Amino acid sequence: MRSTLTHDTDPLQLIRRRLGKSKSLHDSLSGRASPDGSESPELLQRERSIRTNRRQKFINCLLQEDINMPELRKLAWQGIPDELRPIVWPLLLGHMPSISGLRSSTLKRKREEYASLVEVTFARDRQLDQQIWHQIEIDVPRTRPGVRLWMHACTQRSLERILYVWAIRHPASGYVQGINDLATPFFQVFLSAYVDSEAEDFDPTILPPSVLNAIEADSYFCLSRLLDGIQDNYIAGQPGIHRSVKRMAELVARIDPPLAAHLASQNVEFMQFAFRWMNCLLMREISVRNTIRMWDTYLAEGADAFSQFHLYVCSAFLVKWSEKLRQMDFQGIIMFLQSLPTQSWTDHDIEMLLSEAFVLSSTWHNAQSHFSGR
Amino acid sequence: MSKQFQFKLVLLGESAVGKSSLVLRFVKDQFDDYRESTIGAAFLTQTVTLEDQTTVKFEIWDTAGQERYKSLAPMYYRNANCAVVVYDITQSTSLDKAKTWIRELQRQADPNIVIALCGNKTDLAARRQVSQEEAQKYAEEEGLMWGETSAKTGEGVSEIFTAIAKKLPLTAPAPKTTARGAPGSSGRGVDLNKQPTAGQNDACNC
Repeated sequence: MRSTLTHDTDPLQLIRRRLGKSKSLHDSLSGRASPDGSESPELLQRERSIRTNRRQKFINCLLQEDINMPELRKLAWQGIPDELRPIVWPLLLGHMPSISGLRSSTLKRKREEYASLVEVTFARDRQLDQQIWHQIEIDVPRTRPGVRLWMHACTQRSLERILYVWAIRHPASGYVQGINDLATPFFQVFLSAYVDSEAEDFDPTILPPSVLNAIEADSYFCLSRLLDGIQDNYIAGQPGIHRSVKRMAELVARIDPPLAAHLASQNVEFMQFAFRWMNCLLMREISVRNTIRMWDTYLAEGADAFSQFHLYVCSAFLVKWSEKLRQMDFQGIIMFLQSLPTQSWTDHDIEMLLSEAFVLSSTWHNAQSHFSGR
Repeated sequence: MSKQFQFKLVLLGESAVGKSSLVLRFVKDQFDDYRESTIGAAFLTQTVTLEDQTTVKFEIWDTAGQERYKSLAPMYYRNANCAVVVYDITQSTSLDKAKTWIRELQRQADPNIVIALCGNKTDLAARRQVSQEEAQKYAEEEGLMWGETSAKTGEGVSEIFTAIAKKLPLTAPAPKTTARGAPGSSGRGVDLNKQPTAGQNDACNC
């Protein structure tokens, strides 16, 4: 755990401190040769310098008095360095203002606002909505089961508050299973600003309450922003998901007719597997690390990426397995699609997927009429 | 040669009554204290062998329990040959929810569907809110099978699925529609002896 931990909860300050530290670490490492000797030192050096260069661009961008958001988006599309993500995500989501002078006061105000929302929502004399509360109470202990961070009582209480406050303030949808999953990347990313070790293994009880409250409040607001773009997915009848799955099926029929034909011949319905892909934004299909990288690009794309761009990502994701799927029968297809071999996926695999999705969206996004009037 | 049949089975019931745990016990003989909630539905298969060596393969759709997902359920029960409607014996409201599902199945599903009402979590009998008498009486009135299980200890799990297998029409091989759930099909058991199996086809490649 960090010795420099303070009650200072302005992420930019934390990042500055952190960068100083990791830079010296980086310098001491860069003198070393490749650990396994498999890659040439020149290649490693080059990769490292590309990374350093990219990071420097981010830092220059972030240090502007008024951050150039289009520039930041452009950088973020290609992936955000881990140590900068806790500041870049809130900026991209509009949770933190681009003008540096306003940042501290805005964050302070919002965190106070969240604290009072929690206080009002859980006031002693106020009855909890039993149906919503019951569902959240059931789901929180089984959110990311087995991951240490999420097994701690204090993390679970935070998640309960985030989900319940959001649900009460969004009565059209309330709490829907899967939203719990979507809250976890935010919490982990914001926690990572305060800890040096892996966030997933961290014991958050050793953090001061003010830090935990800040992480919880920031997670709440950022989750709210994300959900604003996909609320249709969670209201009665889940029309957003039905629409996305339908469009995905139409798109796959255009980009990979043999696969579409095979799925149809086996009576596989897209809803049988893609429902979950839309409802949990592929979080049940790929690792949290992969998800976080994917969200860098989604957040850079803009508010509707989680519904629009995501549909292209899902289509590219399905087509990726086309050859295998076309040799399987109904049972094989469904079983394969519900436990895909993505465990070893790295950032590189996600970046390939995102590029393929980008090509699809550029080709097809303005061509809806081509396949909707079929 | 023994007969082989294939049937579609759907699991329904309130959230967190243990539908997925019940299937996991039945299919893999495993149990986890905490499992991620099911989103949409999960698909699994398991085969049971009856005393006369007849084998019955279940193609199981394990559905999500939350009310918001209710509109998806017809996709999974519309061609089902059997349904297991699960409640939690420590939550009396979960039996009410089970009754709602049973009414929906009786109205909307195949009229010949075999329905089993299943009270799960008998390992938590100290916190029991639903008596055996109450559930059994309701099941008898509605003409349903009934049993209690513990996915955690395994108690009663294979019994309920075996009982369902025995109750299914294992006599009249019907058109091969069931397994794939072709839209509009309402087929009964498929006698797999009538179809060449993959194994038989591949046998002469050597």
